[in-house]
Amino acid sequence: MAKNSIKWDGVARDQMNHRGTRTEREMAQRFKGSNLFLTALLCLVSRYHAAGLGDLLDRASQLSDKLHSLSTSLTNELDTHFPPMGKILMPRPSMCHTASLQTPHDKDQALRVPESELLSLARALLLSWNDPLLLLSAEAPSLSHPHNGAIYSKTRELQDQSNNLSSGLDRLVHKIGTSSKSLSPLPFKGGDLGGDKNSRLINFYFLLSCFRRDSHKIDNFLKLLRCRAAKQDIC
Amino acid sequence: MTIITSFAGVLAQISEGATHFAVDNSDKGVENMAASLFIILIFLSCLFLGTGAASDGGAAMPSEALSQDPHFTGCLSRDLQTFRCWWNAGSFQNLTDPGALRVFFATSRSSEWRECPEYSASVPNECYFNKSHTDIWTKYCIQLRSQAQNITYSDLCFDVENIVYPDPPIQFNWTFLSVSRSGLHFDIMVHWEPPPSAEVKSGWMTLVYEVQYRETNTSRWITLEQEKGTQQSIYSLHTGTEYEVRVRCKMRLFENFGDFSETILVYIQPIPTKESQFPVTRVLIFGAVGVGILLLLIIFSQQQKLMVILLPPVPAPKIKGIDPELLKKGKLEELSSILSSHYMYQPEPYQEDDWVEFIEVDTGEPCEKQGADSDTQRLLGSGPGLLGFKDDDSGRASCYDPDFPDPEIPELPLPKQGLGPAHLATASSTSPSPTAVNPVHPLIQTQLGTQTWVNMDFYAQVSDVTPSGGVVLSPGQQGGAPQEVEEEKKKEKEGEEDKEGEEREKEEERDKSKKKEVEKFQLVVVDPEGGAYTSERDARQISAEFKPGQGYTPAPPQAPAPGVPMGGYQSPYLLIEGPPCPPLPPVSDYTVVQDVDAQHSLLLNPTPPEPQIPQPPTPAKPLPAMPVGYLSPDLLGNITP
Repeated sequence: MAKNSIKWDGVARDQMNHRGTRTEREMAQRFKGSNLFLTALLCLVSRYHAAGLGDLLDRASQLSDKLHSLSTSLTNELDTHFPPMGKILMPRPSMCHTASLQTPHDKDQALRVPESELLSLARALLLSWNDPLLLLSAEAPSLSHPHNGAIYSKTRELQDQSNNLSSGLDRLVHKIGTSSKSLSPLPFKGGDLGGDKNSRLINFYFLLSCFRRDSHKIDNFLKLLRCRAAKQDIC
Repeated sequence: MTIITSFAGVLAQISEGATHFAVDNSDKGVENMAASLFIILIFLSCLFLGTGAASDGGAAMPSEALSQDPHFTGCLSRDLQTFRCWWNAGSFQNLTDPGALRVFFATSRSSEWRECPEYSASVPNECYFNKSHTDIWTKYCIQLRSQAQNITYSDLCFDVENIVYPDPPIQFNWTFLSVSRSGLHFDIMVHWEPPPSAEVKSGWMTLVYEVQYRETNTSRWITLEQEKGTQQSIYSLHTGTEYEVRVRCKMRLFENFGDFSETILVYIQPIPTKESQFPVTRVLIFGAVGVGILLLLIIFSQQQKLMVILLPPVPAPKIKGIDPELLKKGKLEELSSILSSHYMYQPEPYQEDDWVEFIEVDTGEPCEKQGADSDTQRLLGSGPGLLGFKDDDSGRASCYDPDFPDPEIPELPLPKQGLGPAHLATASSTSPSPTAVNPVHPLIQTQLGTQTWVNMDFYAQVSDVTPSGGVVLSPGQQGGAPQEVEEEKKKEKEGEEDKEGEEREKEEERDKSKKKEVEKFQLVVVDPEGGAYTSERDARQISAEFKPGQGYTPAPPQAPAPGVPMGGYQSPYLLIEGPPCPPLPPVSDYTVVQDVDAQHSLLLNPTPPEPQIPQPPTPAKPLPAMPVGYLSPDLLGNITP
């Protein structure tokens, strides 16, 4: 009797499993259907929803803030053991390689520039620094500085942050639209930092100070854009 | 000075002319004209003097003792849209005139040197760069040159964003947040507004603020973390103490803090608490401590009881009425008395009497008679040599019974012989309680004695063992042969345990038995697992089954070396011929061993009339008179054939 009952239980269980799989399949199909529907809905909503720009700009300005703070900390790190004569011997007033990019240099000018142009400027500026950052991270380990390990790790971090922000800016450009002026990133021609270790250090510092300035510029532009996207009259 | 004098001269001339004119015209109009002219003159002179004084003042600025070149004292910006620079003429007094020193600047954008766009009118030695002349994110270099631009005294290069020192925040105030339950501490929230000069709303400038506070009239300021927002909470200030709070700001990710705002004063009256808090906590603490102490006291005072309750003692095994101490100390007499009083062994007392009775009745053996009581006592008592006799409890006797005659009957096949001793050996070796032996003897013996063999010897010699397990006894002398046999059987059975002495004892017994012409008895142990005694019925059976004519064959003459410990009953059976008490007509083959001394020599019952002459026995020869009281090992060797 017991055997029979067990057998029957097993059969019953199998039947139930079959039933279970069937219901599961149905449920999965239903789920897939609902999923598709939801995604379609989201797409539509996101297309016509304008508040996304503010959030995007918010996020972008956060990233640019992070980038600027990283460059500042790196500059400070370098300052701790920079030869005092270096600052005097620094090539000045020489120009950074991005100086030819015509960016607004005060607030009134910046407020007058249209948003798309400002965004394009920021993006072009950022993209111009891809190669120099590579050079910086390549030169950092062999730098004649006691903290070259920390410097190297920070340059790597800079690269990552820069990549993050550039992808975000690409999305923003798609959203806001490209500017009338075609702004392309500037090529970096300085392939080497120099021969002897002192000149290498000085050139490294100079390049980094240029980057710090440009990162501040990008951050400022994005913050202005954020304000303009949120409140038109106050900004 | 020359200008003033010349001007004064001119004025004097004008006044002269005016007076002349006044004299010519009417007197009043001339007076008015003179007064107004005089006032104008005075004003002008004051003006000139003022400028002279100003220039004098400029020149009269405290000059450093050390000679110092003219230099820039600093540049700063308040709003990231304009900036100012200041310079100092140093110890060069002649360069203090306006225009003596000139400022030129150049930027990375426009690299030609331009002069300062605006020299401040109100503030000396200041160059102000307005919005149009301020470029952010460009490097500025300024130079201090002499008027003729041929000497450059100093220069300075900077970026404008690096020289930003924001204005202090405005509308700095505090609000009360909360006070602690004890009324000793309170929290406040300070709030402010960003400086109006800084463009924070549009996102042009991002400011962070730093709040500092301290108790009034202390020297050290406590700095709180930098705050991006425009409010900050300060926790855990003491009531009844006055505090000073101030705030300042700087541009985010830049190093230069602006000036501090004005300090505000924070003060809150100490609030008297309505309920006294601490008695509750103190009472709780005291209560807990008291309870803990009480528990400890209880535990320490009632330690034993608690131990019993918590860890009850495990009952040790014990026998009723017997103190384990007795067993340890080995006072076997007491123990035997106790055991004898045990219910299991109740028949013993009266049987003991019977034993005694038997001893008395048995007249055949004077030696036996004399030493009866002592014999029994010694048998029952403890002796090192007699330990072996003390068999275990009654059950064993039956096991032993089949094995009794094995060593005595050499005709038995060897395996059986070997088996017998082994059995006996194992049985005897495993017998734990020595005192259980004692009742065995009297039980069997008395049973046998009381029932049927009143006229028979107390001992019987075992002549044969039947395959069925029955013991064939050879009847001893009329007096004590069966008893002797019994005793010997028992002795031999238990003799395994004690090696040397026992062996000798057995041998002696066997010798004794050999001496005699014994009748054979058949002892059938019917109930092996029963008591160590055979019942009356069994005894009758035994007697009935007795087959006369079964003599016993003497063992092959093998002389065991005296002193050699024999593990089993391999020792040959020794025939001891000749009665231990020769003049007795029924000379028994056995004698009673009285005691075993320390040297494992057997002390036998003395037979007074007999001379104690140790004579080695020979098979089938009468045994010479032996020293009944004492048998030494070498004598034992003599005894053997």
